[in-house]
Amino acid sequence: MQGNTASAEGAIAAGCRFFGGYPITPSTEVAEAMARRMPKIGGVFVQMEDEIASIAAVIGASWTGKKAMTSTSGPGFSLMLENIGFALMTETPLVIVNVQRGGPSTGQPTMSAQGDMLQCRFGSHGDMAVIALAPDSVQEMYDLTVKAFNLAERFRCPAFLMADEIIGHMRERIELPDHVDVVDRRPLESGHLPYEAGEDGVPGFPVFGTGHRVHVTGLTHDERGYPVTTDPVLHEALVRRLVGKVENARREIADYRVTNPDAEVVFVCYGSPARAVQQVVADHPDLGLGILRLRLVWPFPEHALAEFPNARVFLVPEQNLGQVAREVERHVLVPVVSVPKLGGELHTPAELLRAIEEARSR
Amino acid sequence: MKLVIDENRCKGCNLCTLVCPYRIFRPGTRANRKGVLVPELDRPERCTNCRLQGLYGRTLCGVCQLTCPDQAIGWVRERPYEPAKIEVEY
Amino acid sequence: MSFADWLRADRLPHIWCSGCSNGTILNCTLAAVEAEGWDPDRTVFVSGIGCSSRAPGYISTDSLHTTHGRALAFATGVKLADPSLNVVVFTGDGDLAAIGGNHFIHACRRNIDLTVVCMNNLIYGMTGGQGSPTTPIGALSTTTPYGASEPAFDLVALAVAAGANHVARWTAYHVRELERAVQTGLETPGLSFIEVRAGCPTNYGRKNRLREVTDLAEYFRTKSMLKAKFDRLVAEGRPVPSDAIVVGEFVRRSNPAMGVVP
Repeated sequence: MQGNTASAEGAIAAGCRFFGGYPITPSTEVAEAMARRMPKIGGVFVQMEDEIASIAAVIGASWTGKKAMTSTSGPGFSLMLENIGFALMTETPLVIVNVQRGGPSTGQPTMSAQGDMLQCRFGSHGDMAVIALAPDSVQEMYDLTVKAFNLAERFRCPAFLMADEIIGHMRERIELPDHVDVVDRRPLESGHLPYEAGEDGVPGFPVFGTGHRVHVTGLTHDERGYPVTTDPVLHEALVRRLVGKVENARREIADYRVTNPDAEVVFVCYGSPARAVQQVVADHPDLGLGILRLRLVWPFPEHALAEFPNARVFLVPEQNLGQVAREVERHVLVPVVSVPKLGGELHTPAELLRAIEEARSR
Repeated sequence: MKLVIDENRCKGCNLCTLVCPYRIFRPGTRANRKGVLVPELDRPERCTNCRLQGLYGRTLCGVCQLTCPDQAIGWVRERPYEPAKIEVEY
Repeated sequence: MSFADWLRADRLPHIWCSGCSNGTILNCTLAAVEAEGWDPDRTVFVSGIGCSSRAPGYISTDSLHTTHGRALAFATGVKLADPSLNVVVFTGDGDLAAIGGNHFIHACRRNIDLTVVCMNNLIYGMTGGQGSPTTPIGALSTTTPYGASEPAFDLVALAVAAGANHVARWTAYHVRELERAVQTGLETPGLSFIEVRAGCPTNYGRKNRLREVTDLAEYFRTKSMLKAKFDRLVAEGRPVPSDAIVVGEFVRRSNPAMGVVP
């Protein structure tokens, strides 16, 4: 199965019943798979006029209680940023699959990149916390799409599947589980205000048409949902809650894989570069290399770095100029070396070995 | 029924003075506590709705209410007429 | 029950200026919805950004106040995901014709079962009176200080050409006609577009010799021309005043529509 198709299948298994999208290489196969499958399972597929409309329709659909998603790549993701902020502010669960390609601008439509990792984290205006997952195989395109839906529904926020062209277009044999654990959003209980959050900072969801008569606005709002735009205290409390509900759950939702925790030289990787790293580590057991593979990049699981107490250097191979390397640097006292690779191809084992050599000689 | 203007909502635009076929609304002359010149009512008992809404069971003219951009015009039910008790003292 | 029962009384008075037509248009739309007998619990009002788009916040139903220009795209998602909901969109000329122009023509093309009420006040009111795509040539605004020089959009013609099933234009002065037009829109399967010429005394009237609220109402009353009369004048080859506001129903048809409950 192809990575993009696996993502679509994962979405359907997670309960997705609305897809709004716009064609863009290299993510189009997600939309194509949804166009084939949705009408057969009672879902809705709609091809919108652009990416802005796609995410708008997805947010609208989500408010009717449907699990909804869209798929895109860098240029489309840039167009979606304003409405991603709207979804964050209005606490709308949805999933965006971003199959990353080379940028800036139109860049390399058919080549792989990981250049949107900071765009997804900080791209929309204002302070925010987001959830972003990064699959490194076709199997994970399926599994992590399910997980993205579960996290989005649980925390009432957008969740991003930050895939890349290599994983999206790769074909691998995968195992479709008979049963997937699915999280459904908690409905708003009667007697509660629409934006009255519990201890976890997540309010119940007032589905449209169920009599809650909720006003949903991107303006700063109070617990009733009414706009209150000039109260500094209320605004700060709202933004802190929106950020806190995700950031405070950082440890709980962290998802990473540790290989060889005693290692002195440790790779921190996510997405397709992890495949090259795994190859190098398997080929050179004598070098004492460790791997921290992030399946969830944002919120960044900083505590995972402490799983390598002997680490003398962290190597971060990415298909960008060091977007996550900087985040690693913030959390450790030992040197962090970014191993960037642009152009759309994977790091070769030789390049990674050379990076190890250079790091050791520091 | 009795025609009333909600002083809390009225912003004094005077559109009602233009649309009422009976010219019941007259531009206000006295500012209320918000500084708005709320229109005054000139013999509101002439209003069709005041007289006949109860009889027909529906809003009859209502153009002033529909036009009022501030949702300030409405009708309230008057208390049923109670003949005044007069005690005549000799 | 009257249309006033649809309002969130705890949010009034609203933020609109004295004499702003938006309140009138809100009344007329709610009166139509009320006359249609819709259930407030099954009705959703959607809007974008701007003065007009504050309207759903004053209505006691589910309401979605979205990003600038995108109301129709959000509404498309709501309606397609749950066609049993009644969806009405409030929008303005800047919201619909400028930043949301693409969504507008595509919503008309899809002919999705929405009712779209456009409060066209010929200007960007919320930001202080800048020229919009519907500002007539020669009109003054803060960004057209020497008079607008760009030709204006005819939103009605645009909606008809793009495929909407019901298209009408009225002004905020024609309250009963507007109410009936909206009600026809609610009843028509497919997209219904009602352009309402709205007065903005604060930002448009003040700069364009319509300083008083009543001047604007008088302007709408005297400049409006029924479509039937306009067609007759054109057919007879007689001159039509260039500033006439042609009002009435422009199209009502039953082309295939999306988002209709089967």
